Amino acid sequence: MNTTFERLRAILVKEHKLPLDRLTLDAPLESLGIDSLGTVELLWHVEDAFKIKLPSEPVDLPTLGDVVRYIDELVAGEGRAAAPADAVAPSLRAS
Amino acid sequence: MRRVAVSGIGVISPLGNSTAEVMACARAGRSGVRRLEMTFASRLAAPIAAMARIDDGHGIDVGKVRMLDRFSLFALLAANQAVQGSSGALAGIDRARVGVFVGTGMGGTHTMDDGYQTLYGEDSDRIRPFTILMGMHNAAAAWIGIEHELRGPNMTYSTACSSSTVAIGEAWMRVASGQLEVAIAGGSEAPLSPGSLKAWEALHTVATMDPEDPSSSCRPFSKNRSGMVLGEGAAMLVIEPWERAMARGAHIMGEIAGYGQSNDASHITRPSVEGQAAAMVAALQAAGIDPQEVDAINAHGTGTQANDRTETAAIRAVLGDRAGHIPISATKAMHGHLLGAAGALECVLSLLAMQHEIALPTMHLQQPDPDCDLDYVPNMARDGVAAQVMLSNSFAFGGTNAVLVLRRARRAIS
Repeated sequence: MNTTFERLRAILVKEHKLPLDRLTLDAPLESLGIDSLGTVELLWHVEDAFKIKLPSEPVDLPTLGDVVRYIDELVAGEGRAAAPADAVAPSLRAS
Repeated sequence: MRRVAVSGIGVISPLGNSTAEVMACARAGRSGVRRLEMTFASRLAAPIAAMARIDDGHGIDVGKVRMLDRFSLFALLAANQAVQGSSGALAGIDRARVGVFVGTGMGGTHTMDDGYQTLYGEDSDRIRPFTILMGMHNAAAAWIGIEHELRGPNMTYSTACSSSTVAIGEAWMRVASGQLEVAIAGGSEAPLSPGSLKAWEALHTVATMDPEDPSSSCRPFSKNRSGMVLGEGAAMLVIEPWERAMARGAHIMGEIAGYGQSNDASHITRPSVEGQAAAMVAALQAAGIDPQEVDAINAHGTGTQANDRTETAAIRAVLGDRAGHIPISATKAMHGHLLGAAGALECVLSLLAMQHEIALPTMHLQQPDPDCDLDYVPNMARDGVAAQVMLSNSFAFGGTNAVLVLRRARRAIS
């Protein structure tokens, strides 16, 4: 089973056309050209790949490591309880 | 008012992706209408359309392409081509003095169609996050503005089949009046999605397919015409004050001399002789040109019974006896009906025809119609037509008529 980070990197390579060697855990999303809009797109693919539903609250994810932790928490949470009925994509942060 | 020059042209069309390709195709009377190969074609009564072809080497960054509906990609490619061909129209200019004016009838219809397919066809809620940004009508204009850092007015016009004629006309007014120094103006349309094709079919305005030769299914002004054939693509102009273009030694491809509009205010689809004539008169008045100076016309010429009959009568009403003595080209027989981009492509073809001193043919004109009794340049281009002034007609559902007056490029009148 691939790790969360490996699966996230696969999404970034395939969907965001990013080179693998730039995808480190401490890489800021902004430095990869992923702004607030790009984050919405990334998390949409994450929902698909990890079979999770994202909560509607805004979320601050400065680095890829933060995204990995966010996904792991959600996956663990979904294991404990069903996703809230009103779960939708996260709101766009003002940019 | 200042004279306005066309100093750049870009085209992505069923007749080719450069002015040279488009002109060679149109001059030879080659049709871009083809049988549709898509899987969905089996559900269409007339599986034909005029498709634009773009290869992967178009130079737009892949990261950007995934945010573009097909109509925005067409628009951006055509705009880039126009800017590149303008010999530096944007060099050193205050970008707040440059506007973008784009016409589109249907906007990002592929994107919206895909979204509905997910929602209803697949019973899934997984709508892609960029659906709104790709589907919105002003996406094409916005991306052109972003690409070239143009901070002036960024406008989108949606008046069905006259959209891009309106866009060019509105841009012309801004440049002629001095409000803007340069404008990128034109139109884009990508209406060949399943939902759109089926919706057009339901309206009963599309041509039946000629089983012997599908490419000849659109037959403007021919008695056996049966309707329009949908097409896709984009055409963009760079326009600027004549004196500015001259001063920087630009290659001037023609002049936008006037623009007029009218509204039928009578029926949502049925065209009106009075409405169409009023738009032609308004355009000529704006240009300060007498109807007797009109040397040629690119007709709206859709190939529907109603339009072609009505347009013939409207041209007669405006030009009187002269109507029967000038060439009138209906190029939609070759490139199909690009809806919101049609007027821009036909404006380009008119400018090129004047440059090359030819009248473009109205192809597939097989049977004369007593109600369509003008000189439509049937089936073969005519050389040696030194037109100085042309009209480019665009008439739309909704009754929104728009006409451009175009002048052949001439060096300074001094």
